[in-house]
Amino acid sequence: MTAFLLRRLGQALAVVFGVALLTFLLFHAFAPDPVRAALGQHANPSSVAALRAQWGLDRPLLQQFWLFLSQIVHFDFGRSFVNGDDLATLIGNGAWVSLAVTVPPFIAGLLISVAVALFVAYHRGGWIDRLSRALFVGGMSVSALVYVIVLQYGLAYKLGWFPINGFAGGWGALHYLLLPWLILLAVSIGPDVRLYRSVLLNEVRADHVRTARAKGASEARVLVRHVLPNAAIPILTNTVSSLPSLILGSLLLERFFSIPGIGDLVVSSLANGDFPVLKAVTVLSALALVAFNLLTDLLYAWADPRVRLA
Amino acid sequence: MDRMRRCLLAGTAVWPIAAPVAHAQAPTKTLQVARGSQFKTLDPVLAFDDISSQLLLLAYSTLLCYSWLARPYRLQPDLLDRMPERSADGLTLSCTLRRGVMFPDDPCFPGGKGRELVVDDIFFSLRRFADARLNQRSWYLLEGLVQGLDEYRAATQLAKPGVDMSQQPVAGLVRHDSHRFALRLKIDTPLALYALANGATAVLPPEAVKHHGEGLATHPVGTGPFRLKDLDRKGVVRWTRNPLYHLRYPTEGAPGDEHAGHLADAGRRLPLVDVLEMPLIEESQPRLLKFLRGDLDIVGLDRAGTEKMVRREGGQLQLLPPHAQRHVLNQTASLAANYLWFNLKHPLLGKRKALRKAIAHLLNLPADIDTLLRGRGHHLASIVPPDIAGSERDTGDLPIAYDPARARQLLAESGFPDGRGLPELTLSSGWASTDWRDRFDFHRARFAAAGVRLKSQILDAPSFQKKLEASNFELAFYGWSADYPDAENFYQMLWSRHPAEGGNYAAFQNADYDRVYVASRFMANGSERYAHFRRMNAILRDEVTLVPLYSTVAVGLHQHWVRNVKRNAMVDGWQYVEIDTARRSKGLA
Repeated sequence: MTAFLLRRLGQALAVVFGVALLTFLLFHAFAPDPVRAALGQHANPSSVAALRAQWGLDRPLLQQFWLFLSQIVHFDFGRSFVNGDDLATLIGNGAWVSLAVTVPPFIAGLLISVAVALFVAYHRGGWIDRLSRALFVGGMSVSALVYVIVLQYGLAYKLGWFPINGFAGGWGALHYLLLPWLILLAVSIGPDVRLYRSVLLNEVRADHVRTARAKGASEARVLVRHVLPNAAIPILTNTVSSLPSLILGSLLLERFFSIPGIGDLVVSSLANGDFPVLKAVTVLSALALVAFNLLTDLLYAWADPRVRLA
Repeated sequence: MDRMRRCLLAGTAVWPIAAPVAHAQAPTKTLQVARGSQFKTLDPVLAFDDISSQLLLLAYSTLLCYSWLARPYRLQPDLLDRMPERSADGLTLSCTLRRGVMFPDDPCFPGGKGRELVVDDIFFSLRRFADARLNQRSWYLLEGLVQGLDEYRAATQLAKPGVDMSQQPVAGLVRHDSHRFALRLKIDTPLALYALANGATAVLPPEAVKHHGEGLATHPVGTGPFRLKDLDRKGVVRWTRNPLYHLRYPTEGAPGDEHAGHLADAGRRLPLVDVLEMPLIEESQPRLLKFLRGDLDIVGLDRAGTEKMVRREGGQLQLLPPHAQRHVLNQTASLAANYLWFNLKHPLLGKRKALRKAIAHLLNLPADIDTLLRGRGHHLASIVPPDIAGSERDTGDLPIAYDPARARQLLAESGFPDGRGLPELTLSSGWASTDWRDRFDFHRARFAAAGVRLKSQILDAPSFQKKLEASNFELAFYGWSADYPDAENFYQMLWSRHPAEGGNYAAFQNADYDRVYVASRFMANGSERYAHFRRMNAILRDEVTLVPLYSTVAVGLHQHWVRNVKRNAMVDGWQYVEIDTARRSKGLA
């Protein structure tokens, strides 16, 4: 186990270095020049040179990359080009808000999706199964943007059940987060139920399940005790692979509901050409992905004793 | 002098006592307007984006400001007691500060008590504006204008960060006494005055810079109409009225203002509302929904909103029912102009004037404005937007007409009858929006009907600008936003001494144009100057350097309980807006 962990950590370091190098090179090769973006129609040579020097963009590329690597190591990504804010604080604050937006519907969605998938699997082939498939496929076919626009208009504006937008700290956030949670649930539940239903139905046909039935176990007991534990690995994979995106928040929801999370920060930074923010978020996303992949492997071992990590 | 000071001090001393009594009886008037984007900083010298520049003018004042009601846009005194007096040679501007203008109480002052604004604050702010270590973005406003200021900037460039240069002498800043000073200019130009109305030259006390340092980005210490109460960059920015603010509502306006009710509050002390709340709402749907529910008092309309709520009748925009009964439509032409640029260095386009003319006649702008902008545009007849003195309203120029028959004739004259033999032309732009694609498709169809094939090249804005500056394009769609509301700011683009990076993207060289431009450059507005503008327009039209396309018209709505909304492209001017609390209490009709 220790050897496995060390090996994976070594691989993770290589991946992070690769991501940092790629991010750095791609931003330098293809991203618009942030200095010219900031100066607009007054980008004369002297102002361009002065701002480039102020932002450290006149230094040799190797020196800039070394600085970027040291920022990653120290988790200190410097300051925003646009407003001079400390990026660690900016991203840290945004991450908590994004987690407040995404985690509750994620947990609720996981529980509801598994429960509904079990229910549908129980009624496999029947009208409930057919109706649910039609509903969920229909729901999946609708763009998330449509959910946001329609539910904000219908539930918040027309019916007045929720505030149209806004955010508050502490428990006051609940008031503003209910509708975004509902929308996230509506968007995620269709694909998850479809996936989990397929996984469960694969297990339903397995030999050990047939044996359990032959021993007289009820269908409900078969599903919960024999099918669900064996379907855990795909469910875990799907769940853990979604975790990094929870920190990144939801670009659309945060934008439409004026929620100051990472998603909104990314969109604003794109619009303003605030590349230190974008570089920091890209690298941190990669780090989160690597960390959660490692966690997935460890959970495999816990969920399935057949998996040997050594 | 002492008597006057005593009176002023007495007046200021009464304010904090009298104000709460008056306010105890009247309901608090809160104006709610959304911010469409995050602000970057409230430090005057560092602010460059529109939203920061507008927000900082709520907290700070400038020496001059733009009249709220006058059109074309006109300067008026703000911190100055009257407009600067020009010397006979035009090189000295004598200025007198308004007396009794107070900085608010702030920990940066001894004992936390605010003090009166004096000349030293003006000079400190101007030196800070010129400091090369701080200001890379708005220095162009005073570059080459004030004696000694360019040299001062050069010295700051060599100085180490943090070294105080505020005591370095600047020949052009002459102090007479605590309230009188002179600005010595290098050239006789009225254009220098515009810099004194720009938020970047807003006046702040040295104590604030010393005490707050970088904290000035979120902690303004100025003499503006409002004081910052709560600040959440990503949430609500809340301002309260500055009871010591020095300006009053204008007593005269443009023709029609009295009829429109814009003079109902003439002479009243500003600001008219007690609280200004500015939540950040970046998407247009929630902004509009909050407005329709009465949670916002004023809102801008985008194209989708205009399509749903506004119709064009007889060339006028009108609100559709039921909105017409509940809300009021407001609109104003922007101070930006969009053009189709020709690259005169291009081997084909540069040499064939008839081809450029043919292309100009293939642009159906009235239909473009009607169909794509839903009437939210003004077809330009000159390169100057309509609300600027010296525009087509003063020169009498008419737009280039859409005339496919004439275009065909010109194409034949240029050697490409019905477009035969004419290679496909590339139209470059820096907008990747659906609006731009719709616009390109709209015009491509009309060009194709005449045999001219167009292809689109979309780049990110900085790359596009680089392309323009390198004269590396064939046709380009690009605009210019007024730095100050004077026609010179537009005509200077095509001065041959300006390289492409200064705005002469066409690489236009014309001695006659240069001569007329130089003659008109620093002239006061009037018939003589407008005749020069007319001549320059004629040259540009004859040479077909660029085709003036349109200025967008900003359209918005306000609630029926809001007064004095006359959209002003230079300032937001929330201090002028009044709320009728009795009407508001009745809610939406």
